[in-house]
Amino acid sequence: MRRRFGAGFWIATAWISLVVAAAALADLLPIPGYDETLVGPPRSGPSAEHPFGTDGLGRDVFSRVVHGARVSLGVGIGAVVLGLGLGAPLGVLAGYRKGFADAVIMAVNDIALAFPSLVFALAVVAFAGASLRNVLIVLGVLGIPAWVRLIRGATLSFAEREFVLAARVLGVRDRRILWRDIMPNVAVPAASYAFIGMAVVIVAEGSLAFLGLSVQAPTPTWGGLINEGRTLMETAPHVVLAPSIVMFLTVLSFNLVGDRLRALTDVRQSGLEPARQSAPLPAGPGAEPVTGALLQVDDLRTHIHTPRGTVKAVDGVSFTLERGRTLAIVGESGSGKSMLIRTILGLLPAADVSRGGHVRLEGDDLTRFTPEEMRQVLGRRLGTVFQDPMTALNPVRTIGTQVTEPLRVHLGMSRKRAREEAARLLASVGIPDPARTLGRYPHQLSGGMRQRVTIAMALSCGPDVLFADEPTTALDVTIQDQVLRLIHRLREERDMAVVLVSHDLSVVRQWADEVIVMYAGKVVEHGPAEQVFARPRMPYTEALLQAAPRLTDPSHHRLRVIPGRPPDLADVPPGCPFRPRCAYAQDRCGAEAPPLTGDHDHLYACWHPTGSAVAGAPEGAESHGR
Amino acid sequence: MAGSGTAHLRPRDEVLLQVENLYVEFPAGRGRTVRAVSGVSFDLAKGETLGIVGESGCGKSSTARALIQLPRPRAGSVRLDGLDLTSLRGEALRRVRRRLQMIFQDPISSLNPRRRVREIVEEGPKVWGRGALDVDEVLEAVGLDPATAAVRRPHEFSGGQCQRVSIARALVLEPEVVICDEPVSALDVSVQAQILALLEDLKERYRLTLVFIAHDLAVVKNVSDRILVMYLGKTCELAPSEDLIARPAHPYTKALLAAIPGSGLDLPPADRLISGEPPSPVDPPSGCRFRTRCPRAAERCAREEPEIRPVNGGDHYVACHFPDL
Amino acid sequence: MILVVHRLVRLVVVLLVVTFLSYGLLNLLPGDPVTQILGISATEEARAQLRADMGLDQPLMVRYADWLSGLLSGDWGTSYISRVPVADELAERLPVTLELLVAAQLVALGLAIPVGVAAARRAGGALDQALTAMSFALLSTPVFVLGVLLILIFAVTWQVVPATGWTPISVDLGWNLTSVLLPAITLGCGQLAVYARLLRADLIATLQEDYITLARARGLSPRRILWRHALRPSAISLITAVGLNLGALIGGTVIIETLFGLPGIGRLIVDSIFSRDYLTVQGGVVLISVGYVLVNFLVDVVYAAVDPRIRRA
Repeated sequence: MRRRFGAGFWIATAWISLVVAAAALADLLPIPGYDETLVGPPRSGPSAEHPFGTDGLGRDVFSRVVHGARVSLGVGIGAVVLGLGLGAPLGVLAGYRKGFADAVIMAVNDIALAFPSLVFALAVVAFAGASLRNVLIVLGVLGIPAWVRLIRGATLSFAEREFVLAARVLGVRDRRILWRDIMPNVAVPAASYAFIGMAVVIVAEGSLAFLGLSVQAPTPTWGGLINEGRTLMETAPHVVLAPSIVMFLTVLSFNLVGDRLRALTDVRQSGLEPARQSAPLPAGPGAEPVTGALLQVDDLRTHIHTPRGTVKAVDGVSFTLERGRTLAIVGESGSGKSMLIRTILGLLPAADVSRGGHVRLEGDDLTRFTPEEMRQVLGRRLGTVFQDPMTALNPVRTIGTQVTEPLRVHLGMSRKRAREEAARLLASVGIPDPARTLGRYPHQLSGGMRQRVTIAMALSCGPDVLFADEPTTALDVTIQDQVLRLIHRLREERDMAVVLVSHDLSVVRQWADEVIVMYAGKVVEHGPAEQVFARPRMPYTEALLQAAPRLTDPSHHRLRVIPGRPPDLADVPPGCPFRPRCAYAQDRCGAEAPPLTGDHDHLYACWHPTGSAVAGAPEGAESHGR
Repeated sequence: MAGSGTAHLRPRDEVLLQVENLYVEFPAGRGRTVRAVSGVSFDLAKGETLGIVGESGCGKSSTARALIQLPRPRAGSVRLDGLDLTSLRGEALRRVRRRLQMIFQDPISSLNPRRRVREIVEEGPKVWGRGALDVDEVLEAVGLDPATAAVRRPHEFSGGQCQRVSIARALVLEPEVVICDEPVSALDVSVQAQILALLEDLKERYRLTLVFIAHDLAVVKNVSDRILVMYLGKTCELAPSEDLIARPAHPYTKALLAAIPGSGLDLPPADRLISGEPPSPVDPPSGCRFRTRCPRAAERCAREEPEIRPVNGGDHYVACHFPDL
Repeated sequence: MILVVHRLVRLVVVLLVVTFLSYGLLNLLPGDPVTQILGISATEEARAQLRADMGLDQPLMVRYADWLSGLLSGDWGTSYISRVPVADELAERLPVTLELLVAAQLVALGLAIPVGVAAARRAGGALDQALTAMSFALLSTPVFVLGVLLILIFAVTWQVVPATGWTPISVDLGWNLTSVLLPAITLGCGQLAVYARLLRADLIATLQEDYITLARARGLSPRRILWRHALRPSAISLITAVGLNLGALIGGTVIIETLFGLPGIGRLIVDSIFSRDYLTVQGGVVLISVGYVLVNFLVDVVYAAVDPRIRRA
């Protein structure tokens, strides 16, 4: 736990405990009474006897601050308990029941939130009388609408999760669902907001006290002490500074604890550019540039440094690609296929990532390019399409602005020319009524149309290579067919090369010329698509092919089951990474990693490659020969 | 397609679950209505697996949830052993729910992150007391170690293992029907094969009746005895699995098959069998709902909704004015 | 169109409830204006007479209706204490509070946007950590503590600005700006922290979206991506906060005006509370509440301009 929260959290917790203890035990502490005058010379600075000095009447400021904490913390904790106690049930009810109860509660709540609460608190306390009880009640009640909203939001986000539906399907009663399934999940955000809420209430009480509208003298309050101290600011600043600093630290501590608790439920770190640049991995000897190759990737490696160890997300991948061809990269999740694309494009997520190896585009080594030079290549010579068309377009900009942007930035077109060109591009990817589409927003288009728009954008500057990372995974099968056909047609028309990343073997089988199979960050098989699918040599490829159901197989056909799961990339076993799951593994596989070798252009990383033809007879796994 | 009718239903006493003329609708804001399911009927004999297949927005998941009355369908009946679930309220409905269990698509979201795996599986027996299977036995049956399950929480497991927990949670109550809503869509190929094999084993061991919903026809074919094809809230075609794949009668079924890459089937390219994108279920086309994308659509298709009728002899049913026979 | 009508109807309902609560609550609370005016020694007849004159013997709903129709026609009543029409008093004080609010928002937003963007650009970096720590500290400083500190430093120790006092714009623009500077910075700093933190968090989330990665994949510069692609989709929470925090800000003006001796509405309310000047307090609370409701109504409209997705919903 300690490392998760950080030192600040524990210091803040300690400070809160200290202040709470001091307030609770104020009468027992060996300090002068808060209203005893002339316990020391008036307006004297901090000393051993009076750690915070004395005020204008010679009262001990430390004692007054400690006693003031009673009011601040009492109101802070009390008002939050009151607000939470009344607001939470309403919020849970609204979030879980939804419908009518929700509509009524939220309508009232919205109106309540429309009050400027401090001004209201001020007026109410003034007229009802400034007592601890009134201040506590007013601040507590004014907090209710915020609590209702928060708790309802948290409840709603869990009430819509499938585990709540599953509980109802089991026949669990609503009350039990609320207690067992909803409450424990809502408790963490509620606790975090309780701390932040206490900070807010302490400040609010301080404000009232500062205006003289909280608990009345002689009882000291922090706000009141600060207000009193103001008049002595020029002669005895410690009188105002001491309560100010204590109050600041207390509010800071409550905020900090709340913030850290909230961070538990919301883990997000990273920005546009890495905060720290990691050192590149040592470059290997580097293969000679292949003449005639459009794209040459050589021993590419991506290592991510995590607290658990170094994750070798991409571990020594090489390939070459020529114009007019499609290279497919297939693998399961975590195989490193998407990371490979991002590494090639130099779009690594953020800090703590090291890259090694070379990427040559017509002989130029992109890994040596500066960010500025890289930006001249991206978009212009390398186009990119991602998986989810829902998130691939900026929701607040029109299609026109987005499609014309690369034309204007990279090709320097005028606004008018760029719009004409954009309309032409949209037409070429099969969007009906392109001129009108330019003025629309992404949410007004279907998923298939959005993916066509992202393809149009990727192709706008006439790239040499199109990287398509799972371009159809989020689409329905009939739309997938349309999009893949489109990519294929455009490849032919523009004489591009395509790198197609997919987890779907059948997509790859139909649309790729060449295939790379990845497993645990490594290439385990590489060759012409037909050959790899007809005669896989690596047992993993073979097993994967037999694990996927096919329409030509009979119903209830027994699929090949690959036992276990892929290795943890932070802790890949020595030798062949597939060995623990491989039916053919022998001693050598565990000791020595197999190199990527083979005959001709069909390469595989296996000590005991399979040799049987399996395309026609998937049951052939048993007739495996070597 | 996009048809209605009940010609394909078998006599009530021969089936375990019978769904008749199911309608599911949701408000879409501004007084409009999403017509998610419009008059779908099907039945399941004991021990049978019915696959329901279709693209997003076809209403297959809405159908699944209407079966367990969460939410209750707008119209139609769901009969389990002759007992109409739509007529039940409160406690009676709660009691009948244990006989119908469900497995969801998202293995992570369907498990409470704050509870231990064993508690999750034990929840059903705790609520119902006796009459449930032994929790350890079921955990073992789905391939989980009861000892580790007792101490771990869902986030410590992979997606495939979470799906096993979901399956165990459903099975421990000895349900008569298990509804699987896209249970393998979120999983990798190798894990998908593990879960499909597991479902087949469990089906035999516990004599389950399954409704298996997926968008992937190859997956559906692998586990199903019969397949129901849906489009925009309507039934297109219902046939034994082998028959449906070998002799699709509905133009939509055919397009769906042709669009699957590398299917190995002898079909023309999909772009000749289907065009455009599905219309909105808020404002579905008149007549046959598939007509706006169908190359065969004629004037009659806009005017008249096709009724489900038997074709090819036997138990192959289709809702189309111009089926492929 | 339906949406606008719907929101307008809601606005009217909220305004009615707000005015009624302001009126009702303050009337139901203990404390008697009659005693306040006539003193404790007045006879029972004189009290009854005054009560009837003031309409206090009428039922609450009737008094509210009277008062509301007065509000609408510009007659906000005349203060029992100062004998000045409440509307005049408020009108005279309003420009001070408005200037303070606008200046504070300008300080807050003007600094928060660059700070938030700079922090998000290299999240986790040294600059981000420093800015985050600073805004966290500011966030935890009560406005009156900050005010006292700033006065101590700038007015008492260095004496570069006056500690208190107010010069209207009409008298001297330069002096006016000097007198609003410290109060506006004090008031704006708390909001600055809130805004910068919100914007940073939302920007970081936005920067992880696919469309940002794709924008990078199209070779666009980081500056262009931040300002043209990421800022607008990240601004929703910020705009909400600008509206909602107005409540906190108005609460803050009460303190600030007291602290710096500015003749604004907040100060007027506090003074009136102490002198039990009911009508003035009511008028002030209603004016602030209505202003707050109206600003939030406008914020809803601004949303639609920023995020086209909301336009449809």
